[in-house]
Amino acid sequence: MITLEHVTKTYKSDVVALRDVSIEIKKGEFVFLVGPSGSGKSTFLRLLLREDLPDTGRILVAGRDVARLSTWKVPYLRRNMGTVFQDFKLLPGKTVYENVAFALEVIGRPRHVIESQVPQILELVGLAEKSQRFDYELSGGEQQRVSIARAFVNRPLILLADEPTGNLDPATAEGIMRLLDRINRTGTTVVMATHDEGIVNTMRRRVVELDRGLVVRDQARGVYGLPA
Amino acid sequence: MAFKLDYFARETMVSLRRNLVMTLAGILTVAVSLFLFGGVVLLSRMVDHGTARWKEGVELEVFFVPTATQQQIDDVQQELKDSPNVKKFRFISKKEALDLFKRFFADQPELVEAVDPDTLPPSFRVVPKDPELTETIAVQFRGRPGVDEVLTAQEQVRRMLHAISWIRRLFFAISGVLLLSSFFLIVNTIRLATYARRREIQIMKLVGATNWFIRIPFMLEGLVQGAAGAGLAFGAVYVLQQILSDLVVRSEGVFRSFFITTGDAVGIGLWVLVIGGVVGVAGSAIGLRRFLDV
Repeated sequence: MITLEHVTKTYKSDVVALRDVSIEIKKGEFVFLVGPSGSGKSTFLRLLLREDLPDTGRILVAGRDVARLSTWKVPYLRRNMGTVFQDFKLLPGKTVYENVAFALEVIGRPRHVIESQVPQILELVGLAEKSQRFDYELSGGEQQRVSIARAFVNRPLILLADEPTGNLDPATAEGIMRLLDRINRTGTTVVMATHDEGIVNTMRRRVVELDRGLVVRDQARGVYGLPA
Repeated sequence: MAFKLDYFARETMVSLRRNLVMTLAGILTVAVSLFLFGGVVLLSRMVDHGTARWKEGVELEVFFVPTATQQQIDDVQQELKDSPNVKKFRFISKKEALDLFKRFFADQPELVEAVDPDTLPPSFRVVPKDPELTETIAVQFRGRPGVDEVLTAQEQVRRMLHAISWIRRLFFAISGVLLLSSFFLIVNTIRLATYARRREIQIMKLVGATNWFIRIPFMLEGLVQGAAGAGLAFGAVYVLQQILSDLVVRSEGVFRSFFITTGDAVGIGLWVLVIGGVVGVAGSAIGLRRFLDV
């Protein structure tokens, strides 16, 4: 589903964000990207979304060569990927329903599709009762559920999450992880960058550890950090 | 597709309302600059009509009576040819006179319909060797058999033409500057609009909205501003035409020929609309250039 071959990315010529990274993520996998700040986790996700281009190396996402994709095809690449962020990125002044419907509306889905899919996805994330609430009426965990609903409403093949639990308390974070796990079980590939040791150690999924742009560990059913 | 049009219309309206003051500023500057532009073109058109026969050095025109014989015309032609004061001349036949008449009154078909070609006088348009010789030549042909009258370009007409050409340049320059400032106002309005909606744009990109889908509401916003301003200018040009036309009709003598038609105003108005639309769309395109950086 996702393949990186010898990918190097340098910012402003001297900051190396990724150094000769080669990695393969299969369809349906759940992968944690761990490592300290500045280790290259966000760059990794940005490259998959083609928000940045690699200096060298090849990136394949859902069978497409991301770096060589022409600009006008980028939106179609992104329709295969849902994205969730630490800060939710909801639209202020819009209801839960509108926030989720927006994602379908702007890729030109017809109204009847939106009207059937949005309630379904809100049911999945447990917000069916709150579809008419505004963003400021929701707790952090609920806001993150909305953003996950928005990322997943188009049933993408891949879900990318950048520290989705970073702003949440442990109990709420656990709920979010259960939701991501559920989405993963539908066959969606999930790549999640995180600092949350507890979550990684509980879930026991594949762990890819980055340090100063290098892959220093790639472990199936791993933990956050190897015991010293 | 109907649904998408609905979306674009709604988003455009929301954005226009959000930036109401900037939007109005944009519309008004477009309107003022295009009105100046349209007004100057309108005046130029008037002058063109009034002075069509005085172009390319033609200083006088010898008109025959409609019933003049070929012999009488030939006599005058021979004399023009022999005159040392005449540089060149051209014969305007009845048919050519009719064509000119039709061109001037193209928007008044009933008038064109009513005219009998036989009542239109043939004439010679004469270029003297030196404009100073105009009166000498005129005296020579006045009162000849078959000659009805000899019209000369009066000094005051020439002075007016000179003044008008300067006024024309000045007003074109002013309207150009205003048009440029309205262009920048629209660029700025659209930039503010994209800034106000940067979160939405960011999310639209993340979920895979195409660039055109993101752009269209902003382009429409620019187009609406340009076209609305142009519409106001169109209306003002039309009113100006009516007023000037009225003045001309009530005036005397040489100014009668400085007529202006509704057709002129509409033609100019269409140009004004096109320019307004182009300024609006171009302004928003420039304003949108940085939206990819969000």
